[in-house]
Amino acid sequence: MSAESPSSVRKVVVHLRATGDAPILKQSKFKIAGTDKFVKVIDFLRRQLHRETMFVYVNSAFSPNPDELVIDLFNNFGFDGKLVVNYACSMAWG
Amino acid sequence: MSSAQKQVWEGAIPLQIHLHESEVTTLPPPPPALVLAPRIGYLPLLISLVKPHFSSTLPPGLDTVWFDYKGLPLKWYIPTGVLFDLLCVEPERPWNLTVHFRGYPSNILLPCEGEDSVKWSFINSLKEAAYVINGNSKNVMNMSQPDQVELWDSVLKGNLETYRRVASKLKLGTSEDEYTENVSSVLIKSPQSTGDTDVTGQVKTGRIPVRLYLWTVTEEFDDFEDAPQIDNWDKVSYINRPVELYKEDGKYFSLNDAVKRILPEYFLENSFVIEGDTNINQSGEEGERSSDPGSSCNAAEIAEIKFVRIQGIEPILDIPFSWVVNNLINPEYFLHMCVCLKVKANAVQ
Repeated sequence: MSAESPSSVRKVVVHLRATGDAPILKQSKFKIAGTDKFVKVIDFLRRQLHRETMFVYVNSAFSPNPDELVIDLFNNFGFDGKLVVNYACSMAWG
Repeated sequence: MSSAQKQVWEGAIPLQIHLHESEVTTLPPPPPALVLAPRIGYLPLLISLVKPHFSSTLPPGLDTVWFDYKGLPLKWYIPTGVLFDLLCVEPERPWNLTVHFRGYPSNILLPCEGEDSVKWSFINSLKEAAYVINGNSKNVMNMSQPDQVELWDSVLKGNLETYRRVASKLKLGTSEDEYTENVSSVLIKSPQSTGDTDVTGQVKTGRIPVRLYLWTVTEEFDDFEDAPQIDNWDKVSYINRPVELYKEDGKYFSLNDAVKRILPEYFLENSFVIEGDTNINQSGEEGERSSDPGSSCNAAEIAEIKFVRIQGIEPILDIPFSWVVNNLINPEYFLHMCVCLKVKANAVQ
């Protein structure tokens, strides 16, 4: 990492994975600016799946706060060069 | 149980809550409600106390309760104490807030359905913190339902003893006491004695989940009363970067070190090197370029820490960071820090 600015406009690969009965997207990997907030991922899924409520998780573990920056999530929880985001139409992991 | 932690749990902010004028239907308008808001609590948890006070004057319709301070809608998932530390630079007591029961600003605030939303947000933050500490959230996810209820209940009621008992099952702070011992032994050690025992350099002792609320100012101010008002959430950077805690022989890791490590883009000094930093995501193929060493060596600091406020106090920056972590973390295991930086006007990216 050293002194590289983590907030510089870097693209993050987000891997969207359906959970439970959620429909699978035709394209599952997207690039998103690291400076974007996680809410952008949630809104994208809402639009794609035409659903008002989505349950969106990182690494099948927790729902990040929608205000968190994508780059912070990637640096903290990403692996293999991408951030794994799971989505479900009903609550998957309490 | 440290007395500082007890004080954090007992900490409260006196609120004077006014009903927004557009929702006043009676003459004279209702007097403000006075409420003591726990620092570790959340604003929507006060609704049951505030609502009866105003219910007779509200216009007909469905309630969607939210609060503002000087016109800025308050984010409900941020602990009340953090909101106060961040937005009320010159602490005002009581803190004058405005409550609204209509016209939820959903373009600014996340939807909130009262206590359920707050609990959901709390548990998810706890899972996120567990992930930072242990590399997974299993301990929180495998928590029994009664334990989860009891844990949340202890936060709602500010019952530290119950909290400690239930939270200890999560095994998120097993080395906490060790930090304290390390720090005291390091502090007692005279500078001359460095190097006689385990000269292995830095030893990583833990990862601390941090939520840092950063606002930058370009103008000098000496009095908090003259500090510019945060009137827009865009002025606050919400930064979630864990701090790797190191034990280094003869030295301790200070709050100052922690802030600079979280914000490398503002503090590019030569002495500040992240050693042995193997980020969990570093699997080689990410292609992250290391920065040009020449540029980072000579770069001057472009920012100066105006203040760091945690749980209502401004600790001296030389304080061991492990003390801060052990005593000032919130119940969801995140350390919330409000940081104000003074930057040169042309240095802001």
